[in-house]
Amino acid sequence: MGTKTNIRIRRFSLIQRLFHVLLIISFMTQGCTGVARMYIGSPWGKWLASVFGGYANATQIHKYMGLFMICLFLAHILYLCFKIDWRNFPRCLFSPDSLVPQPQDIFESTHHVFWFFGLIKAPRFDRWTYWEKFDYWGVFWGIIVLGLTGLMLTFPLLVTRILPGWTLNVALWVHRIEAILAMGHVFVIHFFVGHLRSHNFPMDRTMFEGSADLDATIHEKPFWIARMAHEGKLESLLVPQASLLKRTVFYVFGYSAIAVGLFLLVGGIINSPSITW
Amino acid sequence: MKKAVRGMRLVYLGGVMVPLIGLIALLVGPLLWPVWAEVKGGSKIYRYRERVASGYYEGYEVSPRRARATVARPSTKRGLAAYGASSALVRIRTRLPDSHRGLKFYYRNSCVECHPKQTRNLHSVRAGITCRQCHGAEPIAAIKYHYSPMNPIRRHAYVCTKCHEGANVAFGTYLIHEPRAESAAAKENFPVLYYAYWMMLLLLGGTLAFFIPHILMVFVQELAMKKKKPAIDFLLFFIPNRFIVQWREKLIKKWKPPIDKLIFFMEQKFVVAPRQLLSKIRKPANDDAKDIH
Repeated sequence: MGTKTNIRIRRFSLIQRLFHVLLIISFMTQGCTGVARMYIGSPWGKWLASVFGGYANATQIHKYMGLFMICLFLAHILYLCFKIDWRNFPRCLFSPDSLVPQPQDIFESTHHVFWFFGLIKAPRFDRWTYWEKFDYWGVFWGIIVLGLTGLMLTFPLLVTRILPGWTLNVALWVHRIEAILAMGHVFVIHFFVGHLRSHNFPMDRTMFEGSADLDATIHEKPFWIARMAHEGKLESLLVPQASLLKRTVFYVFGYSAIAVGLFLLVGGIINSPSITW
Repeated sequence: MKKAVRGMRLVYLGGVMVPLIGLIALLVGPLLWPVWAEVKGGSKIYRYRERVASGYYEGYEVSPRRARATVARPSTKRGLAAYGASSALVRIRTRLPDSHRGLKFYYRNSCVECHPKQTRNLHSVRAGITCRQCHGAEPIAAIKYHYSPMNPIRRHAYVCTKCHEGANVAFGTYLIHEPRAESAAAKENFPVLYYAYWMMLLLLGGTLAFFIPHILMVFVQELAMKKKKPAIDFLLFFIPNRFIVQWREKLIKKWKPPIDKLIFFMEQKFVVAPRQLLSKIRKPANDDAKDIH
């Protein structure tokens, strides 16, 4: 990025950013309390649990935060119901503005892999790249799976009025592995994309600020910009960048999330031999 | 594009809607038909009362029936020859009123000396519960002994409810000493756990195996772009440079036109926004510097 114009293009609404911030806070709490519970056999895990007031308290916080996340998910579903263009319903799911995976994404991901070797030009994305769609649906699926299994484990007496008790054995394993998957994906892949891609370094503020750098976006998502320009919406989407104070807040918040995530990741890998399943 | 979209819709119907409906049916079905969890099994017929019901809970006795956790069937087979029906009752320890009957020096041993693996469960590890808190005092009756408090018929009432107040018979089928989820024993005895475990692990491994090399390659390629070299030169640094140059030139000469053509064709076919729109936007000033070719 040689020439910085500081013109940005609006990408997320206030509600969407709020959802993301709440998701970060609840996900990190769930990660810490859950990992503390899993690693309680190691001194590291005991220390982590003591931050939340010990094993029992960490477990309680985990359960309440889980309920909060389920509420957040339901609120998101409600939000989607208002957001979907019901008048041309099935068609709108397959528009380029939709997050629903489409044949385009398969093509673009293959194209992207070819680009990795530097033999062809980078794929020209539309509004959502395939990894952004994967991030969205990963969280969507993750909350369904973790939420359902978590509810089962929180209310075993209620659940066994309906289901046999051995489903709790299965639910616990599914909950664990899905949680490891979610944390692994966020702490490695999502953080990498948000922070270490050359145009995102040191941090991509898009999800906090609501707008993305125009030059980088023209380069990465030319189809979206072209579409907006064609429909005459481009001018209304352009915004100046946020104030220095706001940007500082974004960076501090983003980097504290990174710190917590990497702490869990590294500590989790180092202490993994002393997990008591 | 339309065809592709239509095809994708079919994929959605088949791949997303059907499992979704299945999941909903799985969750809602038992609500409508709670028999899956437990079956009331009290005998009304006097002459079977002794055998079917414990006597304590007769009218309300329930049995887990198909809700059993493990699929292992009690077998009379031991070694080459099988026990007869009557000798099995005496000889197979899991059916004895005192499962440790006749063991030498039994009272000098602790449980773990003979059952070392059985402490590897969440009740022991997390809650610090000892063997005897559930299995009871001497004589410890075998689980399959009909009058044992650990018998699945009344386990919930005699054992689980000590802590889990209100536990029912379905609750009692939670497997405390569950086999290692990845093991062959789990595949044999608790296949649901085994397959759930491996499917989730496949999902975990698949996601990371796809995306971690992916982001590494993005990193390498973007680093290479800064050095204005294609990543392939970067990756194959251990091969002498002249080979790479030759090889790369040949490769590009041969493959670039068809790949470009293919990508043009695919973009026309799959990308939803029409390609012609692209001419409408201004190109960034340093566009050529960023791309390799």
